[in-house]
Amino acid sequence: MRFLKEARYSLHVAFHPFDGFWDLKYENKGKLRIALVILLAVTVTMILNRQYAGYVVNFNHPLELNSFDELKYIVLPFLLWCVANWSLTTLMDGEGKFEEIVIATGYAMLPLILIYLPNMLLSNVITLREASFYYLLESAAALWFVWLLFIGTMTVHQYTVTKTIMTMLLTVVVMGVIIFLGLLFFSLIQQIVSFVYTIYQELSLRA
Amino acid sequence: MKIKRAILLLAAVLLFAGLSPKLAHASPYEGYTYSYWGETVHSPIAYLPSKTITGQNLGIGPWRSPADIFAALDGHLYVLDSGNGRIVVLDSEWKVVRQMKEFQNNGKQDGFNNPEGLFVTESGHIFVADTENRRVVELDSSGAFVREISAPKSEVISSNFEYFPRKVIVDKAGRIYVVARGVFEGIIEFDSEGGFTGFMGTNRVQFDPVDLFWKTVSTKEQREKLIRFVPIEFNNVDVDLDGFIFTTTADKQTFAPVKRLNPSGIDVIRINGNIGPVGDLSRNRSAFIDIDVSGNGVYRTLDSTRGRIFTYNEDGNLLYVFGQLGNQQGTFKNPVAIESSGNRVFVLDRDQGRITEFAATKFGSLVNEANGLYSIGKHDDAAKLWKEVLRLDANYEMAYIGIGKSMLRQGEYKQAMTFLKLGNDREYYSKALTKYRREYMREHFGIYMTVLIPLILVVIAVRRSMRLRKGELKKDAVSQGG
Repeated sequence: MRFLKEARYSLHVAFHPFDGFWDLKYENKGKLRIALVILLAVTVTMILNRQYAGYVVNFNHPLELNSFDELKYIVLPFLLWCVANWSLTTLMDGEGKFEEIVIATGYAMLPLILIYLPNMLLSNVITLREASFYYLLESAAALWFVWLLFIGTMTVHQYTVTKTIMTMLLTVVVMGVIIFLGLLFFSLIQQIVSFVYTIYQELSLRA
Repeated sequence: MKIKRAILLLAAVLLFAGLSPKLAHASPYEGYTYSYWGETVHSPIAYLPSKTITGQNLGIGPWRSPADIFAALDGHLYVLDSGNGRIVVLDSEWKVVRQMKEFQNNGKQDGFNNPEGLFVTESGHIFVADTENRRVVELDSSGAFVREISAPKSEVISSNFEYFPRKVIVDKAGRIYVVARGVFEGIIEFDSEGGFTGFMGTNRVQFDPVDLFWKTVSTKEQREKLIRFVPIEFNNVDVDLDGFIFTTTADKQTFAPVKRLNPSGIDVIRINGNIGPVGDLSRNRSAFIDIDVSGNGVYRTLDSTRGRIFTYNEDGNLLYVFGQLGNQQGTFKNPVAIESSGNRVFVLDRDQGRITEFAATKFGSLVNEANGLYSIGKHDDAAKLWKEVLRLDANYEMAYIGIGKSMLRQGEYKQAMTFLKLGNDREYYSKALTKYRREYMREHFGIYMTVLIPLILVVIAVRRSMRLRKGELKKDAVSQGG
């Protein structure tokens, strides 16, 4: 019952973002588990969408569908966003804690479920001529998500509008930097591993 | 006991299966097509080599670097034996009908010098692009000289213009089109009198942004050393029965190597799928060197990269692929020209000096026939043949589309949707869906409404009663508090 109440609150956030995100932070109404449930639900929605969206708008090659890709395209960017945003805002006097960032980002993703699921059902009965309606709804979902993310970031860190926009853009840049560093790290590790392995081979062949 | 016998039987069967030779592949190449997703898909072989013909076979001495062939409407095959400067005419039984080597030009003995192109009109007049002699020669059907058309003269052509005609075609109105070496302006067009009228169908200049970037940052000296942006020259032409001119461009960069030019020189080729007629979809792209138009808008292109023949229908859908470079019979060393007549295809190999004749297999002729019916709009007749095609090749997307369209016409919308989906035709799938949706709603609207309206009423009633109870509770609370 309490979980349901918390879940209903996420709807309140989606429709009344200013009020919602404020209470989220200062009334402790945001719950980490709800944010994570939303993240999971978004992933599932996207997987379903790839598989079951109507043929007219579905350009996925059925043999190339892979649910793990959604982790790569949703869960990984989500975590990257939170880490990048947290790293950045600590330097830019943001007030948000890491947990609050995760919660706000999670709650902001709700529109993706709210619109994508009905849209997926709709796409099965529309024709090519009506497909633009489907794409319109899709972009509406994206805009709504970005809008919520914007309000969320602004409220969590107590920023001004321009500073929020700057922060969001910089966060994207930082995400790129993190990916770059990650790849660099992995490639170096790989080289070290192969180096050690070569030495081991050399020694074992000599012995 | 039973088990033992069964095992023995199984062992015997396995032994025989192991001993019996593997099925021999009668073809030196594999059949394949590309799916909607651009993946290679195995396909039955549409054409198999049935015969190879060389000059020695015919007893007229070997052909020396033959450059072109032409299959005339009467079934005769004309071979342009460039190295020997002669034209050899063969009938459909592969007997030599005639050889033309020399002719009387204004009382003088004249001949060809390394000609590269050949065309025969309906009336049997032979046009030869006599490359090194820098002229186009017209002979009548007996091989007698009629006239020669030399370099175009016009103010738009610069005085140091070097004219080397390579290919020639003549349309029904007698206009002569010449593809010449190093001419980037397009096809040279002459009127029936042999007077120059202009260029047509110029290729667009290709450039890519990277080149453009380097060009802007480089100095003037560097710029002069860079390759200039010039349009690509055509390398071959053919004309179809309606007078449209098909051209090919041997450029591995372009995504429009095949053009279908209308009389005013505008490209009107139809590309229905998401992949146009570009040959192989690999990094090392195909380079088309000849094109042949057969009936019903079907055209075949000859690729010099891998020696393959790609056959497309009028919508630009790939029908089948055959041929390959190699040393076996049915493969080529240096294929240069392609022609077709009925269900037979001829490919001329320049280095080997021979013609390979291909005959359609059961699959090939089924596809040809089905596509023929399909292109003239006889979808229902075509559907029967497409079903046969599917029995031989369940991956054949065109067949699914063909059957789907036929079902759409017959009003079987649901089934049409299934087939059109298998054939990946979203446009027609969408049409079928529109019809199916309407039909479905007409049948089921009543049921849905009879369920929906009471449901809405119940929801409204429940909500109202809940609200009433809440109101009473509040009232109670207020009265108790007061």
